[in-house]
Amino acid sequence: MQQSSILLLFFFLMGIALIVFTYVYLSSKKADQGMTNPLKKRFWFFLILTVMMGIFASVTIPKSPYFAFADKTPAKVIHVAAMQFSFFLSENAIDPEKPSGQQIELPVDEVVEFRVTSLDVNHGFAIYDESNRLITQTQAMPGYVNRLRYQFDEPGKYNILCLEYCGMAHQVMRSSFTVK
Amino acid sequence: MSKNIVFLFLLIIGFCNFAEAQTTSNALKEETNIYEKVFDVPLQVVDRQSASFDELYAQKPVILALIFTRCTGICNPFLVKLKENLQFKTQENPFQVLVVSFDSRDGISDMRRLAQNLGLEDNKQWTFATTDSISRLNQSVGFEPIWDSLRQQFDHDALLVGINKEGYITKKLIGLREQADLELLIGSVNNIFSPTYRLPNQNSLFSCFNYDPVTGKNTPGLGLLFLALPAVLTTLLLVFISYFVRRSRQKRVQLN
Amino acid sequence: MESIKIRKITSIWIITVLTLFVASIVLGILMRLNQGGVLQQTPITFYSNMTIHGITMIGIWFVAGMAGINYLMERYVKTSYTANLIALILTVIGVLLLWAVTLIGKFHTAWTFLYPLPLKVMWAKWATPTFLVAMSILSVGWLIWGISMMTQVLKKYSIAQAFAWQHFKKDPEVKTPPFILISMITLVGVITCLFVAVVLMALYFAEYFSGGSFVNDALLMKNLTYFFGHTIANEMLYLGLAVIYELFAEVGGRPKWKTTWYVALAWNFTLIFILTAFFHHLYMDFVQPEGFQIVGQLASYLASLPAAAVTVFSVWVAVYRVKIKWTLTNLLFFIGVAGWVIGGFGAVIDATISNNIVLHNTLWVPAHFHTYNVMGNVLFSLGFFYWFSIQFTDKLVSERFSKLILSLLIIGGAGFLLAFYIGGADSIPRRFSNYPAEFTSAKFLANFGAAFATIYLIPILILFYNITKRCLKILFSSSS
Ligand code: HEM
Ligand SMILES: [Cu+2]
Repeated sequence: MQQSSILLLFFFLMGIALIVFTYVYLSSKKADQGMTNPLKKRFWFFLILTVMMGIFASVTIPKSPYFAFADKTPAKVIHVAAMQFSFFLSENAIDPEKPSGQQIELPVDEVVEFRVTSLDVNHGFAIYDESNRLITQTQAMPGYVNRLRYQFDEPGKYNILCLEYCGMAHQVMRSSFTVK
Repeated sequence: MSKNIVFLFLLIIGFCNFAEAQTTSNALKEETNIYEKVFDVPLQVVDRQSASFDELYAQKPVILALIFTRCTGICNPFLVKLKENLQFKTQENPFQVLVVSFDSRDGISDMRRLAQNLGLEDNKQWTFATTDSISRLNQSVGFEPIWDSLRQQFDHDALLVGINKEGYITKKLIGLREQADLELLIGSVNNIFSPTYRLPNQNSLFSCFNYDPVTGKNTPGLGLLFLALPAVLTTLLLVFISYFVRRSRQKRVQLN
Repeated sequence: MESIKIRKITSIWIITVLTLFVASIVLGILMRLNQGGVLQQTPITFYSNMTIHGITMIGIWFVAGMAGINYLMERYVKTSYTANLIALILTVIGVLLLWAVTLIGKFHTAWTFLYPLPLKVMWAKWATPTFLVAMSILSVGWLIWGISMMTQVLKKYSIAQAFAWQHFKKDPEVKTPPFILISMITLVGVITCLFVAVVLMALYFAEYFSGGSFVNDALLMKNLTYFFGHTIANEMLYLGLAVIYELFAEVGGRPKWKTTWYVALAWNFTLIFILTAFFHHLYMDFVQPEGFQIVGQLASYLASLPAAAVTVFSVWVAVYRVKIKWTLTNLLFFIGVAGWVIGGFGAVIDATISNNIVLHNTLWVPAHFHTYNVMGNVLFSLGFFYWFSIQFTDKLVSERFSKLILSLLIIGGAGFLLAFYIGGADSIPRRFSNYPAEFTSAKFLANFGAAFATIYLIPILILFYNITKRCLKILFSSSS
């Protein structure tokens, strides 16, 4: 699970920082005036940092989600219109004047496309799996349609939550669909 | 006099509303049948061997236009406009145009005449055809012509359907459309993916980007200016203040 | 005469900031308790509190940084007392209006007021225009202050010297103090993002008064909003760092830090890249072209990492095996740098697009920005406040008492933040007044966070009492 590895990575980095800072602090407590300071080789420090940053960037940037499944023809399109404080999901285009939605069922192991827009303010469109993990998301912006492609590997019920603050009932703005 | 103006004004407003309603309903219709497979009909092709639809789209993605030759309405301007729009199209993204009649009265000779009238009989990119299973084809692309027995004409949309090499409908266009929309259609049948698109009828004066379907890239819009402006202002301010304070200091030095 | 004036106005800034800080922490604890189910506020109350908590916190730590560098800048150049005073008056007016707008008017757009939320009136009718006016007042006041300080620096240093470009060559004739370098770089960013705020407000006013005939573009407005909001939140940290560069060595009884070529380089990176780092707030807006998104990720790295590396390294070098005089001030600085670095790790992880898709707008976001504020920037400024307040009195906080204060700050802060991080990894959304039942850990984490935030509040109250008392004395002393 991506989130767990992120948390682990964070704790790891935090641990290193804590150890080094504590070590540096303690060293000053028992220092005497004549000691030499070995931290003069700054160049290497910066070089290592730059290289690590470069590697991290070049590994992660290709994993960006914008063009995921771009070369596939999706099995289904779902139109999504977000509106304070509900979602309309439909297999047909949604009329902004008379928005209406339907129960959605999606095929497992096939690419599907969500066309997400908003009829009023900015909203979020976040998909949570059965174990309640956030698996993917996009924003719903008025005037624009965002195309989110995804392939569900597990059948089950998926929840949709609004992840962009949209007003007083933001926390209850939700919907769901099933994957079979 | 003033009454007339008011009336004219109301008329214009009414017309605008009507036009707007028309485009929204078309926009909704265009979104039907997307990513569905087009029905594989047998085709009788003008001056060529008959073929099934899947043989055709397997070679090159297809832009399908549905018309009938006895049409006194939109079909002719529709095809003329399509021809115009495609005239200067380079071969960057491959496609072919398939014109199919949805009128059972049309025979292969009617279609040949149509091709000749348009001056397209020798154009390799265009194919004119009839089929005996038109209703299945209509259904699979969501096309619903209605026979008007009074006028002896079909009531129908000017529909273009984009079909990719796998036979899936990737995009539809309804009505007489401009070059840019057509480019989007051609891009879509070649599976060029853009993670977003803009809805019609929205204010786009200060938009940041305009999507260019030919290159698949975004070109900067007026809105970007607003984003760049503050940084430019600050830089100018910096230079201006620096110049100004130095000059006034020099003056002071000279005075002393 | 002049130095007494600046001393007094700095005291007023400090008292104002600390008072508002305590009030906002209380609101924060109330929010956590509501999320934990201990309190039952209406969602509107919750979101109004959240809005004013966010705006106030950003506002006060920004002005705390500005007041700090203004005070220290007097060592190098003369600053304008008038500009400082104007900023103070306009800030007080703006903040009073904002508290009225949110607590009385129930305006609750969150502090990011994403377009078109402020125009969809779900609160008192007067709240929206008043909010826009208040934001404009703050922007203008701070712009005057920032431009005035920049002018004073430029009177002494040329542009190239202010940005320490001469340090890229060997043995420069004129040496730019790091404090001037960082202040200048930060001021340029501050002025830019305040101009953005002015543009943003102008577009809002245009739509508000057009009666529906002028409609803004949502993407442009979102870009502008984060250009302003992200940048100012980021720059205020650098204001705090400028203070550290000036004071850390001095307080420890060591020679002053010098600008070297890599210090200059790192901070010039910040100057450039800080202006596009805000793109990382729009990662999940697929309408933003991919090129911008990638620029966003790279700029996020380049604006923060070199400057962080240089600063951390400088601090380590200054401390490692060096006998220094530890006081509450430099301990706050030292711990603050550690907190800033740890929050920075959280931020860099989140600023990576492929992670952002599962972290965006979860509790991970408040987790990381609270880290480098609660355990970073706040400590920088508190360190400065304390240092400032003891300059003119001789009664210090005893060493044992300092230890107690610091331990409580660390324990409280760590627990409060941990609850956010774990919540973020558990995919719990941010900005939810109440959590849906399926987030089984959410309520416990919220109450856990509230409890530790209360522990954090104790040393803040002690420092509030301690520092305010002395500042009041400075304020009301007739001579000196
Ligand atoms: C111990 C002290 C603090 C507590 C208990 C606290 C608590 C909170 C809570 C509960 C939230 C809402 C989280 C959510 O989205 O669910 C929040 C949001 C926020 N806090 Fe704090 N906070 C504290 C200190 C700070 C500081 C020092 C800053 C300085 C910048 C700050 C800035 C913000 C901002 C900008 C938001 C976002 C508001 C919004 O979403 O509109 N907080 N805080
Ligand atoms: Cu919403």
